[in-house]
This record gives sequence, structure tokens and C-alpha cells, in this order.
Amino acid sequence: MGLNMDLPAGALRESGERLRLAEALASVAAGDKSAMKELYARTSPKLFGICLRVLGSEAEAEEALQETYVAAWRKAGAFDSGRASPITWLAIIARNKAIDRLRLRRPIAPDGLDSVAAIADDSPSAADALEQADEARRLSVCLETLDSVQSRAIRGAFLGGASYPELAAREGVPLGTMKSWVRRGLSRLKTCLES
Amino acid sequence: MTGEPDPGGEARDWLAAEYALGLLEGDLLAEARRRLSDDPDFRREVGEWTGRLAPLLDEVAPAAPPEDLWRRIAPRLAGAGGPAAAHAPAANDNLAPLQRKLALWRGYAAAATALAASLAFFLAVRPGEPPVPSAPTPVAPVPAAGSAPLVAMMESKDSPVRLVATYEPASRSLVVMPAAGLARAAGHSHQLWLIPAGGAPHPLGIVTPDTPLRLALSGALAPDATLAVSVEPTGGSPTGLPTGPVIASGKLVRT
Repeated sequence: MGLNMDLPAGALRESGERLRLAEALASVAAGDKSAMKELYARTSPKLFGICLRVLGSEAEAEEALQETYVAAWRKAGAFDSGRASPITWLAIIARNKAIDRLRLRRPIAPDGLDSVAAIADDSPSAADALEQADEARRLSVCLETLDSVQSRAIRGAFLGGASYPELAAREGVPLGTMKSWVRRGLSRLKTCLES
Repeated sequence: MTGEPDPGGEARDWLAAEYALGLLEGDLLAEARRRLSDDPDFRREVGEWTGRLAPLLDEVAPAAPPEDLWRRIAPRLAGAGGPAAAHAPAANDNLAPLQRKLALWRGYAAAATALAASLAFFLAVRPGEPPVPSAPTPVAPVPAAGSAPLVAMMESKDSPVRLVATYEPASRSLVVMPAAGLARAAGHSHQLWLIPAGGAPHPLGIVTPDTPLRLALSGALAPDATLAVSVEPTGGSPTGLPTGPVIASGKLVRT
């Protein structure tokens, strides 16, 4: 493999990058704009990727990314390094901002969903990201234990912003069936992650 | 503790999980938002579910935002610091030398022939040669073999697309600069892949015209790996493997 994984997975993120981002966030919380600029330089490709994935439109992803960093600037003081890594904290903000935008436009133009409609294959390679940390691997292992329709629905909702009716339409099943599939899937996921 | 849902209050039991997953609409969404603001247990439960699902975000391919986006964000930051602070020269950092090098390469790339020539040059001098004295870049003192930057010139006979990638082993940073031919296309993204020698492609990110894609990698890249760009649905391949045509590719070689 060209990827030399002799470092424990995620070690770099744990030690170097994570620490640097945590320090930058602490400076941001103190009102330091240059730290904010550094934070942007280090994290914007990751966060823009998330916005683009959820929204499927570059113009909207740009708006969501702006909202993400404005929110990060305001909320940096609430970041708790004991509870989440800085990049996870930022990624969640980006994902939520993107989902919020999706909700706003949904009644008018549900396009862009096509791009995430067919997560045809839940192969581990999809999750085989370079930054994969232990928790990511655990989640992907646990998702593998679900029926493929369940993991597809969970990914489609969390990463693609799909609602129950959209998920049901994609799979061609009644709404109630989709709800019970997702709930059973979440229940098994939780049990697996806690085991 | 919520284990299997009890049939009676099923919707209620799953409200936090479904809110975290983004499934709710209408009345249930309104109820979830209300409870989020005045029910600490509910808030904690939503937080737990978000934490469980957040690693999914690691699956998403990074994509370079437009170069000028920071300038649109800076004025929106409330509080301390005037416009001067917001527009101060980049306080960062270790990317600057790479940027300078890229600017230079971009100059080359203005003419495709020059790019092809430089590719040939890199390949020609590669096998076991000592540091190239006449290297056409001001790459400061040539570092020891293991830490020398790697370069990939990505191209294809069948497309006008050219990209230049540089990898700095010391910082494990990879910068990919579209040099020519890459056009924005509605409904498509151009996805960058790492293909280790004899291995399967790994998605690395989305490249956009005129914008360098900068990545901090957690693993080291080997000089025999190939970088390639394929045409994918907006946001990247949904399968984690290339699904569309490869429009440019090139091997990483030592500079």
C-alpha cells in the first residue's frame, strides 16, 4: 500500500493536528481572528466537502460554509476538548448548517438529492478514509452488521439529509415500514457500539 | 437504555435519535426543537446520538472552497478586530513555501508543452540521480531522500485536463493544483484518487477549477503511488470507488 500506516490510526490527529486545532479554537474563543483564519485554512476543505455532500450544489455549499465559520466563531467558547475532537465538533456544525439549508429549500426544490440517492454499496472502502480514527472504524464495523437497507438509510439521512418520506420513496416501501427499519437499525447500532 | 422501542410511545422514544439523524419534519421537528431548548435530558440524548453518528462525516471527501471565500467570511465575524486584522497577510504558515512553488508551476502549466517537458525532465533525471543541480525551481536545499517532496503531473491523452500535485513528506501535506482544462460542470464533481501500487483507489477529495486542494494526510505517501482524477456525481462517488471516466492521472515521483 502506498499509505504507510505504521503510525496507529489517527495518531497524527490525536497528537499533532488535534492539539493545534484545539489551540486555535481556544484562541478563537478569546477573539483572535488570525487564529480563526488558521482554523479556516486547516479545516475548510473537510467542511466544504461535507456541505457539498449534503447540499449537492457549490453555491449553497459556499453559503453553508460561511454560516459554519460564523457559528464556530461565536460558539468557540463552548467547545469542550474532553467531549469531542475539534474537527468533529466543526464537522457537526457544518453538517447541521447544511441540513438546515436543505430543510429551508426542500419544499421548493428537492433537487441535488439525486447525487446522494444511490449509496449503492456500503463497502468498507467507502469508509476507508485517511483520517479514520478508532471510533470511525467501530461505527463502520457496526453499520456492516445492519441490513444493507438500514445502513443505507442511516447514511442517506445523516450525510444526505433525506427525510423519512424520501427514504421510503427511494426504497419503494411504505413510510411506516421505513420508520421501523430505521428504528430497528438505530437500536442495533447502539447496542453494537456499546458492546 | 432505550434498547428496543416500546410500542406505545415509539415516536417519542426515537425523537432524539431521529432529530440527530435529521429525519424529522413538521410537528415532530418543532417538538424536538422545543425540547432541545428546555429539556436537558433530551439535549443530552441528542448529543449522544450525534456523537455516535459523527464518524460518518469522516467518509466525506474534502473539497477546496473557492479561494475568495475567506474574504467573504472575515467581515461577518462579530466582535474584536477591524478589517485590517481580517485582511492581514496569512498568519499561516507552512503552506506558504508550497504556494510559492505552485505559483511557479502554474506558470509552467500555462503552456501545456512546458508542462509535458517538465514531466519528461522529472522522469529523465529520476533514477538514482543525485540532487538535480539545475532543477528549474527554487526548491531550497534538497532534503535527504526520504523527505524530498514528491510531484505528480496528472494528464491524459484523451483530455485537456492537467493537474500538478506536490507532496511534502515532512508535513504530510498534499497540494493539488488544477493547471489546465478543468471546467466547472453542473451535476458533476472531479474527484481525486490515490491509487497505491497494486492497491485499490482511495478517495482523497474534490478538485475545483483554479483552486488548489490542500490535504493533510495521516499516512505517508510512497513514490510509486498514482494520483488520478475522475468525473463523479456532485459531491463525489457515492460508492467510495471511481464510477466515472478518469480524465487525468500521474505517478508520484521524487523531485
